[in-house]
Amino acid sequence: MSQGPEDWTPRQYDVHHRTTYTYEGPVESCFERGFLAPRETPSQRVLSNEVVISPDPQVMTEHVDHFGNHSFYVEIQTAHNELIVEKRSRFEVHWPQPDLAALDRWTVASAAAELLESAEAVERVGHLLPSPLVQPAPEVVDYCRSVIGPDMPLGEAILALTRGIYRDFAYKSGVTTVRTTLPELLELRQGVCQDFAHLAIGCLRSLGLPTRYVSGYLETQPPPGQVKLAGADASHAWASVMVPGGGWVDLDPTNDHLADSRYVVTAWGRDFRDVSPLKGVVFAEAAGASTLNVAVDVTRV
Amino acid sequence: MTSSLNPAAAAAPAGASSGVLADYRGRLGDHGPDPLLGSDELIAGGDVRPTQLLLADAIEAMGQGGLLAARAETRRLVHDDGIRYGVGGIDGIRDRHWRLDPLPVVLTSEEWSGLERGIQQRATLLAALLEDLYGDRLLLRRGVIPAEVVLGHPGFLRQVDGIRSRGGLVLGAHDLGRDTDGTWRVLADRTSAPSGAGYAMANRRVTTRVLAGLHRSTELARLRGFFHTMSAAVREAAPPTSEVPRVVLLSPGPMSETAYDQSFLASLLGFPLAESDDLMLRNGRVWLRAAGRLEPVDVVLRRVDPEYCDSLDLRADSQLGLPGLVEATRQGNVTVANPLGAQVLENPGLAPFLPAVAQALLGEDLQLAGKPAWWCGDRDGLAHVLANIDRLVLRPIATGGEVEAQLGGHLSAEGRDRLRRRIESEPWAWIGQEPLPLSTTPVVTPTGLTPGRLVLRTFWAERDGERHVMPGGLARAATGPSQLHVSNSGGAIAKDVWVLAPETAEAGWGDPGVRPDLVAVRPRAVVAPRVADNLFWLGRYAERAEAAGRILRVCDDLVEDHAARPGTPGEQAMRALLAAATAITRVPGDPAQPRQHVRTMVSDPLQSGSLRYAADRLGDAAQRVRDQLSQDIWHVLSRLDRTLAHVPSDEHQLQPRLYDVLESLLAVSGVIAESMVRDETWGFLDGGIRLERAQFTVALLASTIAHERPPIIDGQLTEAVLEVGESILTHRRRTVAGEGPVWPIHSAVSLLLLDKGNPRSVAFSVDRLVEDLRLVGDDVLAAKAEALADHIARVDLVEACTGDRSGLGEILAEVRATLHAVSDDLTRRRFARKTSQRTLPISWAVTS
Repeated sequence: MSQGPEDWTPRQYDVHHRTTYTYEGPVESCFERGFLAPRETPSQRVLSNEVVISPDPQVMTEHVDHFGNHSFYVEIQTAHNELIVEKRSRFEVHWPQPDLAALDRWTVASAAAELLESAEAVERVGHLLPSPLVQPAPEVVDYCRSVIGPDMPLGEAILALTRGIYRDFAYKSGVTTVRTTLPELLELRQGVCQDFAHLAIGCLRSLGLPTRYVSGYLETQPPPGQVKLAGADASHAWASVMVPGGGWVDLDPTNDHLADSRYVVTAWGRDFRDVSPLKGVVFAEAAGASTLNVAVDVTRV
Repeated sequence: MTSSLNPAAAAAPAGASSGVLADYRGRLGDHGPDPLLGSDELIAGGDVRPTQLLLADAIEAMGQGGLLAARAETRRLVHDDGIRYGVGGIDGIRDRHWRLDPLPVVLTSEEWSGLERGIQQRATLLAALLEDLYGDRLLLRRGVIPAEVVLGHPGFLRQVDGIRSRGGLVLGAHDLGRDTDGTWRVLADRTSAPSGAGYAMANRRVTTRVLAGLHRSTELARLRGFFHTMSAAVREAAPPTSEVPRVVLLSPGPMSETAYDQSFLASLLGFPLAESDDLMLRNGRVWLRAAGRLEPVDVVLRRVDPEYCDSLDLRADSQLGLPGLVEATRQGNVTVANPLGAQVLENPGLAPFLPAVAQALLGEDLQLAGKPAWWCGDRDGLAHVLANIDRLVLRPIATGGEVEAQLGGHLSAEGRDRLRRRIESEPWAWIGQEPLPLSTTPVVTPTGLTPGRLVLRTFWAERDGERHVMPGGLARAATGPSQLHVSNSGGAIAKDVWVLAPETAEAGWGDPGVRPDLVAVRPRAVVAPRVADNLFWLGRYAERAEAAGRILRVCDDLVEDHAARPGTPGEQAMRALLAAATAITRVPGDPAQPRQHVRTMVSDPLQSGSLRYAADRLGDAAQRVRDQLSQDIWHVLSRLDRTLAHVPSDEHQLQPRLYDVLESLLAVSGVIAESMVRDETWGFLDGGIRLERAQFTVALLASTIAHERPPIIDGQLTEAVLEVGESILTHRRRTVAGEGPVWPIHSAVSLLLLDKGNPRSVAFSVDRLVEDLRLVGDDVLAAKAEALADHIARVDLVEACTGDRSGLGEILAEVRATLHAVSDDLTRRRFARKTSQRTLPISWAVTS
């Protein structure tokens, strides 16, 4: 996916995200947790957000979670065979282009040392320690050192890691799951955006740089000459690394560049576990199968 | 404790000396240098400590013989009270007995009041710390505690961040050990779901019976008042909207290691024990499921580990909690005590920083501290720990994982190097702490008093801003080679803790919680489907065991008399009754070996129809509803268990054993009948008994006298059936008096099927069943049972018994079918479990 100056201009997006669970047998009740409203960030403003759930929930509450995300709790106590959770949000997005050259005055190691001195402890440590899906592993350290090192200039290193993962791993869905570990991913050499984000996080943390996992969306273009199909977009994930001076740089190893104004943020945390878009528990008489269907449209307004 | 305080008694024990203490003194010097071993509780400098004279005198007076007798008595009482710990055995439910030493740990009131203040301060401190960690986190932001120590601990639950839990830390416990200089120091804080308060009370009940004399002559603080306070503290943590708060004690179930502690504590506090299945979450609230209705729950006293409490927000694979519980606490609809995030305080990594935290939060010096500790995430700390690795205890911040705390000096050179590398690779995750040399206390063993390393668990509850400490606790003593941990799971033996009352003790000392109870109206008891189910089966298995005992006793009698005389009418009657017993128990056997077969039916624990099997299930069902039953039942069940454990071989008489079994089972019925209020719980339990008895009697009649046989055999068989049905005496008396039917068959059918006055008859059982079903509030089923009673009442005795008796067979078949239908309906309507829960798949294949 190419990137040009036009991708850093301000713009507005409508994002429509519909999740449908279809059950084989009737479900008596269900409990859901999801991030049904996007967070505000320095690069985006949320103009509107609307949530529609079918069947009507008995309880829907919202709170700001540990990471500052808008977390929703949904409880449905009426029997149903199908659950639809629909979210429509309008955003104003404008990402400033990170000044990587300015970051190059630090090396990776000196940036880590600077953060140790100056960054707020909870924010820094919270994103530096191992997390459920990003556990320290010698394989991750080895891979990281093959791409970047502590003495590399910081801006250069961020870009090199983004490129390195893009180069070394093939994008292929269905190979990995939420249970795939980083050493397994390094063995497989293929995966999806969550895997690549986790690997980038593991590498950067191993060098002392606090890094978080960002969950959101990305505007995509249809192949040349084709019309964009409804529902063909998808949710997306990337990594965001803390840099000296109080900022974060968002890198997308799946697409080989830094996040630009085509990126919309839903939530962030230490890894996927903290910001799983929607998860749930159902009570049902029979242990029937369920199918999950997700349709996403990211439309420029 | 007055006269024996005379120091002379200790200085010159020579005359009365039994030598036990002299031996013990000798053993104290037995060990070489040991960093984990300190002073002794009883003896100092070769003499009995002045504070321990009372206990020392008692020990000397008892002598080794008396001590061993006390030890045996303690064991017997522990068995009889059914005090258990841990799980084991073939089905995982028949667990181990609690191990308790008869000798208490004695602490003076002066010492205790100092310790109490230390505990109160520490409790206050931890409560304030918890609030900060899930609130502003100022302590982390200001560097009083390094953020790694908290954020890297698995007990820090981000999912509950920001929830203001009403009541905060409602209760807590601390494991303490006494340092060489005599001060108590903290080994560990138990703040998440502390266990052991129930065991402490159980220990007290046993110890005071075993050492009744010593107990009488000692003024010691009572424990009861603490449970009053604790109960009130938990109730008062309810959301302010609830006028009459309902509390449940959430248990992981009877498979839990401390299941006894949980159910005993529940009964001491007056709260029902509940498992996940008994509860449900609806409309953001927690409800107790009762048949046909839901009762709101205001406080969940939690004994389930926090991460298992909510499969939506915490561990998705847990079936022990309720999805949505975290959210319900966030909305303030329910209080979970202690709060779900409280495990973060059990973090050993906090130890180096607590003195500074006490200054920051309370502006006070920490009174009750652990041994000095260093955090390895700090450059100087790491250097100190690595330089002293061979004399320090190395503790990972995250306990319970694959790595445990270790004493550097206990490791090989190689092991120390491995540990060193491990610490260097993740220094923030480790602390090094000076080992605590524990004091020793005498433990009664067959070879004399043996020093055991002592750990004391103390308990507190917070009420109205004040921390009330249990005046006593749960002591554990380990007599084995010094190991870092002293725990019940590690084989330590428990001890009661006697806190002596001050000389000026006023009445009610130690009972700060006894005051007019806030809750005048207790919420009506609710019987959850799981509880109802277990009560019903408790009744059924008690009755099934008794019925098996009765028929097998008569079988055995016939076998003894007739087995050796093939072809005689007696032998044929014996075969017929054996066939009936086989049909009823479904325990197969060799017809050529009737003696063996009877024994198999009695004692095979794996045959689901055997007497032993029914008795085992009776015990299991009782365990599952322990909080509903009188304490007395454990004594009887323990005896039943012992009686059935060893059934005599073929050559020996079975009869005396069967009489013992029946006696125990009658005692079970007696305890149940005399100790239970006639409410819903009774309805389920007695309903089980009545249904089982009616079904058994119907099956007995159907497989014996409902068939035509030569009169001489029929007569003998009918008498045997009357004997099984405990009605032979009535039959004979009536026959002699010319009152009853002339034919034995008429008499049997009359007495065992139709007679509403005979407690052994089907008609009587069905009448009782009708009452029971009314008690449980199921009028539809009660009507169905009543119709059955009417049907039985209309049976024509003479007509039923004429000809080939197929008429009787048909009647019995109908009755049997209706009884089955009632049982099935009851199961479906009243014992239904929650539908199964599953986590929806999360997929990330649907992304770019």
